[in-house]
Amino acid sequence: MASNRGRSRFIFFCLAPAVVLFIVFMFIPSIDVFRMSLYKWGGYTDTKTFVGLDNFNKLFHSDKFYQVFQNSILLIIVVTIVTFALALIFAGILSRTKLKGRDFYRTVFYIPNILSVVVISAIFSAIYDPNNGLLNSVLQLFHAVDEPVLWLGDQKVVIYSLAGAMIWQAIGYYMVMYMASMANIPESLYESANLEGASPIHQFFTITIPLIWTNIRTTLTFFIISTINMSFLFVTAMTSGGPDGATEVFLSYMYKEAYTNSSYGYGMAIGVVVFLFSFALAGILNAVTKRDHLEY
Amino acid sequence: MRKMATLAIAASMVFTLAACGSSNGNTQQNGSASSDASSGKVRTLKFAALETAYGKAPWQEVAAAFEKKVPGVKVDMTIEKNIEDVIGPSMKSGEFPDVIHLAVGQPKGLTETFVKDNNMADLTDVLSMKVPGEEAAVSEKIIPGFTDTTITNPHNDGKTYLMPMFYSPTGLFYNAGLFEQKGWEVPTTWDEMWALGDKAKAEGIALFAYPTTGYFDSFFYALLNEVGGPEFFGKAMSYSEGIWQSPEATQAFDIIAKLASYTEKTVPANGNKDNFTKNQQLILDNKALFMPNGTWVVNEMANAPRADGFKWGFTSLPAVANGGDRYSYTFFEQIWVPAKAKNQDLAKQFIAYLYSDEAAAIFAKAGAVQPIKGMSEKLEGDNKLFYSIYDNGAKAAMGAFTSTAPVEGVNISDTVFGSIDSLVTGAKKQQDWVSAITKASDALRAAQE
Repeated sequence: MASNRGRSRFIFFCLAPAVVLFIVFMFIPSIDVFRMSLYKWGGYTDTKTFVGLDNFNKLFHSDKFYQVFQNSILLIIVVTIVTFALALIFAGILSRTKLKGRDFYRTVFYIPNILSVVVISAIFSAIYDPNNGLLNSVLQLFHAVDEPVLWLGDQKVVIYSLAGAMIWQAIGYYMVMYMASMANIPESLYESANLEGASPIHQFFTITIPLIWTNIRTTLTFFIISTINMSFLFVTAMTSGGPDGATEVFLSYMYKEAYTNSSYGYGMAIGVVVFLFSFALAGILNAVTKRDHLEY
Repeated sequence: MRKMATLAIAASMVFTLAACGSSNGNTQQNGSASSDASSGKVRTLKFAALETAYGKAPWQEVAAAFEKKVPGVKVDMTIEKNIEDVIGPSMKSGEFPDVIHLAVGQPKGLTETFVKDNNMADLTDVLSMKVPGEEAAVSEKIIPGFTDTTITNPHNDGKTYLMPMFYSPTGLFYNAGLFEQKGWEVPTTWDEMWALGDKAKAEGIALFAYPTTGYFDSFFYALLNEVGGPEFFGKAMSYSEGIWQSPEATQAFDIIAKLASYTEKTVPANGNKDNFTKNQQLILDNKALFMPNGTWVVNEMANAPRADGFKWGFTSLPAVANGGDRYSYTFFEQIWVPAKAKNQDLAKQFIAYLYSDEAAAIFAKAGAVQPIKGMSEKLEGDNKLFYSIYDNGAKAAMGAFTSTAPVEGVNISDTVFGSIDSLVTGAKKQQDWVSAITKASDALRAAQE
């Protein structure tokens, strides 16, 4: 009995630091976001007024917020689909074929992930430059366009330019993740499929994808979270939300309202909506991608 | 025994963690305790400032001179590029610096937040204080007009809450060398401006470029003064009802919309804080004639390549009619005292000292010019040309949109200036722009005290 109590006490003290850390740095701040969204507060001083759900009411009547919502959703969808498809294809090619220089490609694809967003933004600002940029120069070489395209200046194009940079940055990371789980699939499955005359593409869809499905589901959640977060960094470094708010996304708008517009409480209300939205989206994706677990 | 050891380790981890969490608070308490305890002898003035292009050195020198002038005072300085993040956390828990030098218009909007929350100390009495070590009162030294703007007196109650510090005239910058080569005259009216625009277009040069739409603030304020005079400007800045539908406002909007059509087409693509120097480069490369800017641009572009014979030129905005008033907007930084600062009297004394000849000379050495009478005569080089703009007939425009209680989701600068990108790209029409401004202005008028 005594030793049992000692044991639980030991477990308690072992867990305590982690639990305390979690509560102090994760739990309380998250609750605080919800609490602060109910106040009208400038953010710097200790003067605040309780306004109930006023901030949310204003938020849902704001055209600007809907524009921001649209931009964010567009980015989440475009970046997720393109990155997902390309990463999967590249991973399939690199792990299933005897391509020369496989390791080299793997490293090259992964490099953008190590670079800081500021560096990537500088690279893409140079590529997208209307006058001396790589992209316009190439297009003009083939006479594909007469006037230079304003990749970061045309409101209809700029969000896709941003998506391009984000996809370039993300592919390597997901590719390596998919390759890791593809490496675990037993070779014998492919051998027997070969004997039965299944083409590599057929094998990819009937063997590879079902067997890395758990991994794919996890990465889908990653896509949502990281697109919301990374889009803020890219927007801040590349376009400052411009031109005229055409690339404003969730977090950049939240920052602008919370700080520049002295409406910290309103900013937190945006935070709450983003929090619930990403949670819900991840939940829905998880539910619709649920499959029976396959073992090998 | 072993159990005890593990317990001790676990416990010590929890304690270090707790210590980590509160170490910040502890040092602050110590700091204030020591100043309280010795308040009879050494008083500590807590001073916070944004580190700008002028650097930390002039402030340190001025603080040392102040300590010498007023015995028994120690100036505790925090000068950082991210000053909002450094002083923010302690302010939330009620510890405020005594003096803050941070202008309005920063991305984090700390100064605006204090204005909007009514959290600044009234500095009107500083104006009648004697400058330490001199005979003159502060108000006698400051150039008239600087302390009755909507920026320094944001609450419209005749009281000054922010004191003007370093100022810089703004206007249109151009390549004077190019004008000499081509034999062009710098336009004095907008009609001449458009004529020049067509002439330049024939040679493949655009009339206009802007670094980012944010630079339109000074441009727009000066333009409003030109079309309607200071009284009209004041009404517009306090969101007077129907002001944006008045003939004067329409004239200003027409000019900006027309200017948008004369703007170099690639400007919106580079109009962000990463690439705005590419837009400024258009002037140096003779690809565009004019850009709105401030005197700092000369330093900012000091190492940039430029066309042969390039020479900076600087002019106020063209007049709307022949013989009409021409304006140059004066940009200035502000210094202020939080309402909850502990040493307000000392803070006011320190601010008064900043207007002494001694302090002004130290700042001027670093290129920072204060609005003190007679300062512009002491300047040299490019600065002499820039600061003499008001001696050459241009009137000074000062002030900005009045601060109101924060209105969530409404940002007047974004609405007025940010949309100019859309006018250039053609994504927005002039009437949509004006109706958006009217809507934002109405919302802010309702929030005015």
